[in-house]
Amino acid sequence: MTFNDVFKKFNEIFIDVLDDEEIVLKESSTANDIEEWDSLSHIQLIVNIEKEFGVNFTALEMENYSNVGEMCRGVLGKLI
Amino acid sequence: MKQGDTFELSFTATEAIYNSFIEAYNDRNPLHTDLNFAISKGFDKVVLHGNILNGFVSYFIGEGLPTENVMLISQNIDYHNPFHIGDKLNFIAKVKNISAAAQTIEFKFIFKNQLKKKVAKGMILIKTLE
Repeated sequence: MTFNDVFKKFNEIFIDVLDDEEIVLKESSTANDIEEWDSLSHIQLIVNIEKEFGVNFTALEMENYSNVGEMCRGVLGKLI
Repeated sequence: MKQGDTFELSFTATEAIYNSFIEAYNDRNPLHTDLNFAISKGFDKVVLHGNILNGFVSYFIGEGLPTENVMLISQNIDYHNPFHIGDKLNFIAKVKNISAAAQTIEFKFIFKNQLKKKVAKGMILIKTLE
């Protein structure tokens, strides 16, 4: 799986969880850029990402990701 | 809690719960309140409101776990068979997934009646509070 594969799947997860078909993620995207990305949807996003890729993060790892691109690399790192 | 942990509770669908639900939410659909209507639709008794089961789920989350530091994040429920006043319901919830990053616990649950028939099943996602 490549970074682009992970990123594309992230976009699908965000669309599904946030109920917004128009979401187009960028690597630099953060919760500040997406109105529906609130604290509760953040939980749903993490749970769905972990399920989709079959990975688990620690709370510290998640805190250290500053944007979507870093989260994708975090997933990719766990898949290799 | 850890993945695979199982919790089991028993509930009775009492007339008091039924009456309280109607009083609180005003759902007097004849399926729930008119025996003749329920019989005409193929049931032998009035059918209780499915959302009464969500009250039992609420009890499980709020009172039935080893910790009170929890908050409901999401829940879904599928109904398989009707239940009626006086039915004794066996509730089993199993920890399906734990996310350390999201601080969440996901449960699968099932309600069965006294005849061991599946009444409903579903999923609960709770967040543990610090």
